[in-house]
Amino acid sequence: MKRNPLTLIIGLLLIIVFALLLFVFQVRQSQVAVVTTFGNPTRPITKPGAYLKWPWPIQKVWWFDQRVQNFEDRLTEGLTRDSFNLLTSVYVGWKVSDPAAFFPRFAGSADPIAAAEALLDQWLGTAKTAVVGRHPLGDFLTTTDNGANFIAIENEILASIQSQLRTNNFGLEIEFLGIKRLQLPESVSQSVFERMTSERKVLADRFQYEGEAEAQRIRSDAERRAAEVLANAQGQATQIKGQGEAEAAKSLKVFQQNPELASFIFRLSALEDSLKERSTLIFDQHTPPFDLFQGVSTNLLTK
Amino acid sequence: MNDHDLPQNGPPEPTLPPETNVDAGSQALAEALRSSFTIVKVVMVLLVLVFLASGLFTVGPEQRAIILRFGKAQGEGEKALLLPGLHWSFPYPIDEHIKVSIGGLQQVSSMVGWYAVTPEQMLAGIEPPAGPMLNPIADGYVMTADANIMHSRATLTYRINDPIRYVFSFVNASNTVQSLLDNALLHAAACFKVDDILTRDVAGFQEEVRRRATQLVAKQDIGINVEQCAIQSVPPRQLKDAFASVLKAEVMRSKVLDEARSYENQVTNRAGADAESLINLAQSDRARLVSDVAAQAQRFQEILPQYQRHPALFEQQRLTETLSHVFTNAQDKIFLADSPGGKQKQLRLLLNREPPKLKSQETKP
Repeated sequence: MKRNPLTLIIGLLLIIVFALLLFVFQVRQSQVAVVTTFGNPTRPITKPGAYLKWPWPIQKVWWFDQRVQNFEDRLTEGLTRDSFNLLTSVYVGWKVSDPAAFFPRFAGSADPIAAAEALLDQWLGTAKTAVVGRHPLGDFLTTTDNGANFIAIENEILASIQSQLRTNNFGLEIEFLGIKRLQLPESVSQSVFERMTSERKVLADRFQYEGEAEAQRIRSDAERRAAEVLANAQGQATQIKGQGEAEAAKSLKVFQQNPELASFIFRLSALEDSLKERSTLIFDQHTPPFDLFQGVSTNLLTK
Repeated sequence: MNDHDLPQNGPPEPTLPPETNVDAGSQALAEALRSSFTIVKVVMVLLVLVFLASGLFTVGPEQRAIILRFGKAQGEGEKALLLPGLHWSFPYPIDEHIKVSIGGLQQVSSMVGWYAVTPEQMLAGIEPPAGPMLNPIADGYVMTADANIMHSRATLTYRINDPIRYVFSFVNASNTVQSLLDNALLHAAACFKVDDILTRDVAGFQEEVRRRATQLVAKQDIGINVEQCAIQSVPPRQLKDAFASVLKAEVMRSKVLDEARSYENQVTNRAGADAESLINLAQSDRARLVSDVAAQAQRFQEILPQYQRHPALFEQQRLTETLSHVFTNAQDKIFLADSPGGKQKQLRLLLNREPPKLKSQETKP
């Protein structure tokens, strides 16, 4: 059968595609890879793109996710410098930074990421215990320095882990680390509760006494001010009356023209005023005008 | 087009054998083969078309897309993002497109500071019964600056502003955001006193969590914008009564103070009014005194000439006149005449036959 050139072209294309599948591999944006030659890591690849390799079984490609993994470790117990039991848990943002170093240590396991995290967990436990032991509880909980000590503790744990990573060179890199949980053992939290309860009681009592004392102060202050105002007014009133008397005294000169008459008139008006109502008068024949009765023989009396 | 040319070129070759007198059977076979080849070719063309068409994709209104060619993102930064609409890329394995939802608000909640509650309970709004103690593994809580224990949970709302970073740099960016929020909450709580978090400085605490979360997010360059941060804080449920009693005492205190203040107002206002009326009274007294004396002086001036004419007579006349007034007004008049024998008489009076005070009290109402 005569060959059709087109069939030839198609055949060639198929061969090329097949060859490409064998010789070319991709590394995605979020990945790093390492190429092994007969099982030995020979070429790490950290940039995404398409690369060439010898087909299996000569070379093999291992891909790893190079994005930041979010890992949270177990809650572990540690003793602070002032002997408080403290349970801490941290989160770690880590990633595979050097696939060539990462591969030999973790590629053997079914899930290299999980294997690496198990190792991190172990190191973190040690690092946390060591760092927590160097600080008193007051470094964690404080109002004074806006949590600078807290940050310092986190940085110490980070530094300790990073030195571990450097000495071991497992191709990991830690991007960030922070404390995620900070708790007390059950028995300690119970005694904290007891302390809090008594604190609440003190606070409630204080509010009550404060309120009463303050109210008392307000009341007595008000009373004092009221008394002051009244006393002032009294003084002012007396002064006004005095002024009136002084003013009236000016008219007294008039009476000096004839003191006898003045005294007579004053006495008269006093008499009139004092006997204005509900008075009982007893008098005898010598009181004018009843002196008119004198010498008059009355049957009234002889009766 | 090449595929279409094929059938036209094809026929001359197969037509040759019939000329060489091959039997009808093989001719029919060749015919069948030829037509099935045509079908295969059409199917192949269709497959190629389908293959190319599979590169078409739409980006939704709240989405952006990124094309990876051989695994590498095409374009840098903002330019790499494909806007909503219809797009085409080479099909896999040459190109690969990844859609990222940026629209709408994303939300994460930090529950490290909250007691154990299942998602179902949270949705239904049921509060699980509080155990006698806090289980440090299951029950979360935060510790405050004054070493108190309390529950606090935070919800952070954010928008993705750098989808490339958000998707390609973090395995699970929302988990990372949540971890950072956990840390921010823990951190802020460790700097605040329990009363500040619960009542006195709620907004300040919330702002501190937000500030720290924003700072951490910016430091790790997660590619998001923090929009909102909401905090809810409660005292441990085991100490509910103790905390409630403090609140009650606080309410009582303000009530007592309010009462005292209203008393203060009342007392000072009354004192002011009393003082005013005292002064007014004094002023009217003064005016009356002055005018009284002036009037008396006036009258004195008038009667002085009459008196000077006949002092004794004048006096007598005035006295009598006054006495007659007095006697008319007096309620009882008792006249004691001298007894004829010059003996002293005894007069017995019963005083206070009608107590004036009682009477006035009776008449008033």
